[in-house]
Amino acid sequence: MFSAIYFESAVRDHPRTHAILRRYRDLPQIECERYGEIFNRKSQNFRLQKENPALILARKHGGKVLPAPGGYGFDAAGSHYFSHMLNCIYDCRYCFLQGMYRSAHCVLFVNYEDFAAAIEQTLSDPPLPKEDIHRNSCHSARSRRISSSTLPTRSCDSAQDDGVVHLPTGAGEVASGAGQVFYSGYDCDSLAFEPVSGFAEYFVPWFAARSRAILELRTKSTQIGGLLKQEPIPNCIIAMSFTTHAAAARWEHGVPAIDKRLAALRRLQEAGWPVALRFEPLLPDMKPDACGELFEQVFHRLDPRRLHSVSSGLFRMPADYFRNALKLYPDEALFARETRTRNGVVALQHPNEEAWLRQIETALFRHIDPTNYYRCADENTDSEN
Amino acid sequence: MNAMSEHRPLTASKGNGATVNLAVAHRLEAERLIQWFGLAENLPRGEFPWYGNEDGLSLVVTGSGVERAAAGVRCLHERRPGCAWLNLGIAGHGAAAVGTGLLIHRIEDRSTGKRHWPSPTGLKLPGGNLITVSEAETDYAEDAAYDMEAAGFFAAASRLVAPDLVLVYKIVSDNPEHPLAGFRRGQVPLRFGARESEIRTLVAHLRERGSRFVRWHSLPTEYRQLLGKYHFSVTRKSALAKLCRRFTALGLEQKIAVLASKRYHNAGALMAALEAELAGAVAPGGTGSKESAS
Repeated sequence: MFSAIYFESAVRDHPRTHAILRRYRDLPQIECERYGEIFNRKSQNFRLQKENPALILARKHGGKVLPAPGGYGFDAAGSHYFSHMLNCIYDCRYCFLQGMYRSAHCVLFVNYEDFAAAIEQTLSDPPLPKEDIHRNSCHSARSRRISSSTLPTRSCDSAQDDGVVHLPTGAGEVASGAGQVFYSGYDCDSLAFEPVSGFAEYFVPWFAARSRAILELRTKSTQIGGLLKQEPIPNCIIAMSFTTHAAAARWEHGVPAIDKRLAALRRLQEAGWPVALRFEPLLPDMKPDACGELFEQVFHRLDPRRLHSVSSGLFRMPADYFRNALKLYPDEALFARETRTRNGVVALQHPNEEAWLRQIETALFRHIDPTNYYRCADENTDSEN
Repeated sequence: MNAMSEHRPLTASKGNGATVNLAVAHRLEAERLIQWFGLAENLPRGEFPWYGNEDGLSLVVTGSGVERAAAGVRCLHERRPGCAWLNLGIAGHGAAAVGTGLLIHRIEDRSTGKRHWPSPTGLKLPGGNLITVSEAETDYAEDAAYDMEAAGFFAAASRLVAPDLVLVYKIVSDNPEHPLAGFRRGQVPLRFGARESEIRTLVAHLRERGSRFVRWHSLPTEYRQLLGKYHFSVTRKSALAKLCRRFTALGLEQKIAVLASKRYHNAGALMAALEAELAGAVAPGGTGSKESAS
């Protein structure tokens, strides 16, 4: 999986560092002062590095918990994200990470306790007014990435105000009244590295003791052994992403097969964990029939009545990340298609997009209650949607 | 990437451009490389002796020191640009046994404090850190290799190509038990000879990665033909390259060949025809997409 382990001098004696270095004792182990020396170097080639990525063990200093931009989250004034890891061990061609980071190495911040303290502090702070969150987060690259993402949003009003997310009536009630939400798995896959990172092993019990805080783990991984050893908790949602079989085969490199992901999700659901489905990214070549077949397969394995939520989202990427990805993959058909750019976000063109989406949703609604569904859309999308 | 350990002849670079450039400080360090890879000296020699073969492998003898190493890299680049670079040489070491070969993970320039980080290769070769010093090290204070060129080499080469295609490999020539004073120059080819397998592996690794890199960014032959047929501004030339890459990425090589064989009033008309063809072909259900429908 990795070709070398870098570790910051500051975490040399951290127990997690020790455990990981022991695990990878046969790999080169290289000490550095700060992870940015390696991760943020100029002129690196993400695509070349992805062939031989390294793992970097580091300490996260500032910015451990960040507000999700306005229009996102179960509650617009109480949605946050935190990233214990940068980059993903999978290699999905549509992923924005390849356009966002200069390096394909994975950074694991081992100081989970500091993340937990930051989350605790956030929980004790009064929530920011919604408009402040939006204003504070609208102009950075980071917030552009977030707001063009598909983090589940439950705030219908703000979503419509901002044009970020479209929620059918009733979807906002899914988790209404819940506490603040903390999204993981944004700069990485939450569970894919679990056997090494022990991320969920640490954080799920931590959230179990704080029932008003909600944790969402976003993943394509089948590494659920750790979760199954724990008692399920209602405030930890495991959200799994799916595309059609053809899209998965072509664009999702190193990702467990759909059937295996479904088997894992079913085991979680049967064990009592809240699970959610994210059908994304929807790519123009995905035919509604193929999506329908996927839905048949998914809902043959899962109980739709016990799903936490279901969402879909189009492929979209901040324009500067898209440009970077195109430079890296000029031979990639995905990036060679017709695109449109609105407000700095690139999407792939579909001649009849809304009708196409409606067809897909119609197929989906044969299986689920539409009130349990929401569709993520481009930031500041025109009102046509 | 570990499958490249067996020796194999280098594939010809003609056409694919996957050139690998080697840099050594001294002629003695070049001796075995010249022999193994069939390198011939290119004349006139100029400031830096340089060698090459028809398989796209070149070598420059830079002389000693950071500045000479950097200048030698730049000089070879002007003569024969490389897709990838490898610095080879002997080095002192604070702990490793004489004769040990080390793929360098971290380079520290002792005079400036600047550090460089050659990317890991995935090859199962012994590795280590290196300190580039301005004078031969005799104290061997740290568990690291000591040389006089790598920092200059890496800084210069990684400005020319992605740093992921720049490597440094050192063979330990002296250490506290066998200090530099007792080292004889004639031992250099012998030390290299004992590490032939590793050196060939590294060259093959860089060639393979370099070839992939070139392939990713290659343009169809029609691109050159069209540049010869029409007048393109610099901006249009870049736009043409992008269009050609899109055709290739979408599996539409035949269509671009057909379009390129037609006659257009000027470059603008050609570009418009290419864009129209792409727009029709890449729409879902269009004929051009090579993605199988889901």
